[in-house]
Amino acid sequence: MLLTNFFQWRLIGQSPGIIRLHKDPAFVKLSRILSTHHLLSTSFRTAKMSRNLFHDNLNSLAGNCCSFNNTATINNAYPRPDILTWLSPLEPRLRHEDIRERRARNVGEWVLQAEEFKNWYAGSGRSESDTGVLFCYGDPGVGKTFIR
Amino acid sequence: MEEGQSLTSCHVSSLVIDRLCDRAVEHNAGVAGFYCDFAARKEQSPTNILGAVLRQLVGGLAEIPEEIKQAHRDYKRAIGGRRLQLADILSMLQTVVSKKPSFICIDGLDECVVEYRTKLLVSLNQVLQKSPGTRVFLTGRPQMQADVVRRLSGRVMTILITPRRPDIISYLHYRLGEDGNPDEMDSDLEADILKKIPEISEMWVGATT
Repeated sequence: MLLTNFFQWRLIGQSPGIIRLHKDPAFVKLSRILSTHHLLSTSFRTAKMSRNLFHDNLNSLAGNCCSFNNTATINNAYPRPDILTWLSPLEPRLRHEDIRERRARNVGEWVLQAEEFKNWYAGSGRSESDTGVLFCYGDPGVGKTFIR
Repeated sequence: MEEGQSLTSCHVSSLVIDRLCDRAVEHNAGVAGFYCDFAARKEQSPTNILGAVLRQLVGGLAEIPEEIKQAHRDYKRAIGGRRLQLADILSMLQTVVSKKPSFICIDGLDECVVEYRTKLLVSLNQVLQKSPGTRVFLTGRPQMQADVVRRLSGRVMTILITPRRPDIISYLHYRLGEDGNPDEMDSDLEADILKKIPEISEMWVGATT
């Protein structure tokens, strides 16, 4: 509030009383401190806005491909949220985020390097030998203690 | 609910989904995932599971396909608003996967009601028959393998999920890093843990597989 009032004063600082105040050493010091603070907070806000903008852009880009990581932000005259909710009210993204947060790093990465995974990923369904489905199976008693 | 299987498969599924999402931008592909949950098994019908998948894939499109917009208009006009049926969802899903390469990941088939699981697999097979380029990732217990292969017309590759030594060591590092009593740990004890636990667990895994 003080800061806001101060800058309002600065903006209308033509009145004789305010000009007198500007010459006071304490006021000059306060002015310098607050200006720095204002500059810093402006820079911070700008940086924060840029970051948000960056995230929004990233989400838009990602939104084109992977709705697990986005909230759809694409121009569309048709009521998009209505349709999406009509298709399903469920949000499996939340469960995914929860699991991802609890995941121990580097555990299970070998699956992504497995030939089966690579072949499945690269398949286009055009060849006879192509398999569209990758089924990962495990016994409930195996690895429970270690992968948890 | 048997937590072990669920958590093991969840872990792998989440890794796979993240990898697919990372690459989706580059390859302009759609990714959708669903985690089956025993506690919600009654609500997790094929209609609801594939509805959630469809929602994610549609959400990833720059423009909602006209067929889906039209279906939405028709439903809004219907008196009392008829609920979406599995056939409706499947038809829209086929429209979407025909427009863009798509990955559908469904975790924890063992947590589904049996009838639901069967219908789900049959439905996925229909999607694959129309759009063989679609990639489907599934997890479940070993005894489901035969059913999965049969329902999906044999188009199935499999990977056995079992902890390997690097997994166990990484996991131990992770848990040791979270130790609430670090004063009780010294380098000898840590080295001992990192040596012996993987050995014991490998013996144990070997005995149970």
